[in-house]
Amino acid sequence: MRGRTVYAYALALGALLLLTAFAFAVGRFPLAPGELAALAANKLFGAGYAVAPTAETVVMQVRGPRILAALLVGAALAAAGTAYQGMFRNPLVSPDILGVSAGAALGAVLGIFFSQSALVIQLGAFAGGLAAVAVVYAVGANVRRHDPILALILAGIVIGTLLGSMIALLKYLADPYNQLPAITYWLLGSLAAVAPADIALAAPFALAGLVPLYLLRWRMNLLSLSDDEARALGVPVGRLRFAVVCAATLMTAAAVAISGIIGWIGLLIPHAARLLIGPEFSRLLPLSMVLGAAFLLAVDTLSRTIAPIEVPPGVLTALIGTPFFLWLFAVSRRTWQQ
Amino acid sequence: MPGLRFALPIAALLFAPAAFAQAPREMLDAAGRYVRVPAKVERVYAAGPPASILVYAINPDKLLGWTRALRADEAPFFPARYAALPELGRLTGRGNTANVEVLLKARPDLVVDVGATAPTFASLADRVQQQTGLPYLLLDGRFGAIPETLRALGHAMGDTASAGRLADWCERAIAEVAARVAQVPAEKRPRAYYGRGPHGLQTALGGSINAEVMEFLGAKNVAGAMSGGLAVASMEQVLAWDPEVIFTNDPHFYRAVGGDARWRAIAAVRSKRVHLSPHLPFGWFDFPPGANRIIGLYWAGKILYPELFRDDLRAKTTEFYRLFYHQEPGAAQLDALLGEPGVMPR
Amino acid sequence: MAAVIEARALGYGYPDRPVGRDLGLELAAGDVLCVLGPNGGGKTTLFRTLLGLLPAQAGTVLLEGQALAAMPRGAIARRLGYVPQGHAAQFAFTVSEAVLMGRTAHVGLFAAPGAADREAAERAIRTLGIGELAARAVTELSGGERQLAMIARALAQGARALVLDEPTASLDFGNQVRVLREIRRLAAEGYAIVFSTHDPGQAFLAASRVLLLAQGGALRQGTPAEVITAENLRAVYGVEVRVDTVAGMRVCTPVL
Repeated sequence: MRGRTVYAYALALGALLLLTAFAFAVGRFPLAPGELAALAANKLFGAGYAVAPTAETVVMQVRGPRILAALLVGAALAAAGTAYQGMFRNPLVSPDILGVSAGAALGAVLGIFFSQSALVIQLGAFAGGLAAVAVVYAVGANVRRHDPILALILAGIVIGTLLGSMIALLKYLADPYNQLPAITYWLLGSLAAVAPADIALAAPFALAGLVPLYLLRWRMNLLSLSDDEARALGVPVGRLRFAVVCAATLMTAAAVAISGIIGWIGLLIPHAARLLIGPEFSRLLPLSMVLGAAFLLAVDTLSRTIAPIEVPPGVLTALIGTPFFLWLFAVSRRTWQQ
Repeated sequence: MPGLRFALPIAALLFAPAAFAQAPREMLDAAGRYVRVPAKVERVYAAGPPASILVYAINPDKLLGWTRALRADEAPFFPARYAALPELGRLTGRGNTANVEVLLKARPDLVVDVGATAPTFASLADRVQQQTGLPYLLLDGRFGAIPETLRALGHAMGDTASAGRLADWCERAIAEVAARVAQVPAEKRPRAYYGRGPHGLQTALGGSINAEVMEFLGAKNVAGAMSGGLAVASMEQVLAWDPEVIFTNDPHFYRAVGGDARWRAIAAVRSKRVHLSPHLPFGWFDFPPGANRIIGLYWAGKILYPELFRDDLRAKTTEFYRLFYHQEPGAAQLDALLGEPGVMPR
Repeated sequence: MAAVIEARALGYGYPDRPVGRDLGLELAAGDVLCVLGPNGGGKTTLFRTLLGLLPAQAGTVLLEGQALAAMPRGAIARRLGYVPQGHAAQFAFTVSEAVLMGRTAHVGLFAAPGAADREAAERAIRTLGIGELAARAVTELSGGERQLAMIARALAQGARALVLDEPTASLDFGNQVRVLREIRRLAAEGYAIVFSTHDPGQAFLAASRVLLLAQGGALRQGTPAEVITAENLRAVYGVEVRVDTVAGMRVCTPVL
């Protein structure tokens, strides 16, 4: 077990570092080979090489924030997906199950519909995501006669669908010339427009969710037991679930606010990590985060380099992620049930 | 009585032309469809904004309604009785909202659409025509075809004189602009980027309707290597393109771009060559893709080639709005239109 | 001897649906209480009340002399271990990882188990003799091995009292015997144990006291010999049985 763990972590972290270096080196803006090295030397070791200002802007203001955003969003979505799959004891669960993406989408679409600035649109997305989950949680918690897990999932599906129909209505009413294209592009998800200010805004909230979840990672194992068992072992199950939902929602809402809706990461990455390292949460969560960050970074790098125009990352995550996952599933001995 | 013998033949001679004039005419529309247009057309339903603009310009009293009710900031540019025309929804193109029953209730004599004439749209027109029994005319919305479309529409509506005047004006304007642009050698034609949306990263690919004004003026669309419609570019790609002039339609983006370190890496942003397109009552640059863009030619021309486009833009705007919107903008309105930050170069 | 688990005039059930009334129980270290009764007779409700998972409707439950209702959840977990009915495992935790979960009440909120906790878990695994299974995934174990792992988890809690809900249900004969043997061995080491079963014979094999539950509350409580009689079983199950002594052991056989 130990050997396998170390191996998996080494592989994942190595891949992440390589990908990050690679992501800095490629892009549609042509950089002379020495420029990147010179810049790295300047920033990391305080050297004083001359670097063209535009090159510096490209690396520090454009590629850097975008890479950071990809790592943050990928880690956040993967962590949220892992937490929810454990909490709901269901392999088909993604971070959207409680409606955070639908709520964030509605918030953003409303912002676009009322022709607001980019900042207001982001804040709308964040607030919308939190509000949606708050409503779902309130509904789920007040339905006393049913299994609390089932109540949450059903409330999430119902409210998510309701929000989806409101979004469809707004798309219908939107000005087809100016608002509709903006709405469509937001819903497709993209890291193209990430500015350093966006990260400064989203990172605290994402971390506010990631850090508690990371600290609680061993305790999360107990949510895989039945409620009675967990309580008998001394776990306040209701409170723990609430904490997990809060953390996952903060992370996901912050991520969606800056990137739009990028699917599949929260669903597939936890599975891939589980196939590599097993379900024990204190090992699973960090690996999930690393894999999620690496995966989204890879996808986003492709998204911004293969053509002059952006390819929506949600399309790429599905195209790349699904065959990769199937391969991993086929070569691995472990499955969800084994 | 001696004259009475000739009364009947004279009467027949006098009334004959009128009788011919009452017969419905068959017109060939821009999609190659033969459409039976009634002799007298008093009520016209415009199926989309480019059509509304043309019908209104030719004869505003015959327009039954707007596809989308005019907003508070758009209405003052029209005489009050026309600004208050009802909202009837749009039939084709992006975001259909019209109800066929609403269409029938309006009892138009003619339905007109100005825009794309590809077979998909032609079959849509046929369908509506079959469903409602109303004649549906599909006319070409491309830039260069505007004068021809105006004349065809005028003929259909029976307002050939008014349509003729408008068509002549458009022809002269387009020819004048084209002649000026022809004088500019290829090296002096600037590289231009059109950035839409709150981030300014949505752009128009080569040959798209959104880039038509820019490309007609000879500017080199930096995104023109790929053809298509709208697409999102990455910030890095825009930096790599390094445009000399930037057009935008979003006031939020315009306000933010000067202070954004990433955009400031582009020389054009530092030298304030970012321009916000006027948009009242209809956009001057790309949407709606109709005759409303002709005034945009003079505006964008002034930005791209200030020595060649020395027109008094206020006077030109006044003239254009009088012809097409039937109301001259007041001084305050002109200030609002042309004085908004970012519209005119400093 | 001081009672480990004690119930005084306990009423258990739900606010709108009382299940049992006026139950008295006293279990000392080394006692094994077998709870018998048909399905729906209230065994699970009683267990959940004794574990503090369901509030008592009347009376009190005392754990090592303290009122259960006043004890924080972690304190209960350190004294009382719950072994649920066996079910197919959903997650592929190893036996070590699963047993380690028993140490929750000893581990801080944001912490992970430390060396002392791992040692306690290993001790529990050795006590039950499943050491060679430690690295195996629980999903690969037989039902009986999984039950033993769950008992090890309860031991790892540090509890001196165990509540086992139908520990032999859906186990093959060999595993049933293994589990019963463990129950007797743990009792001999001083644990207080409560378990439920459908087989009266198991009460004769492993229990020192029997509680017979029927609809509406306890029918009888006492030693196995006192409680498991033909009349009692006929009253509760509605079937005919014979109770004999064979080779010094009491056995209960149904009359078909």
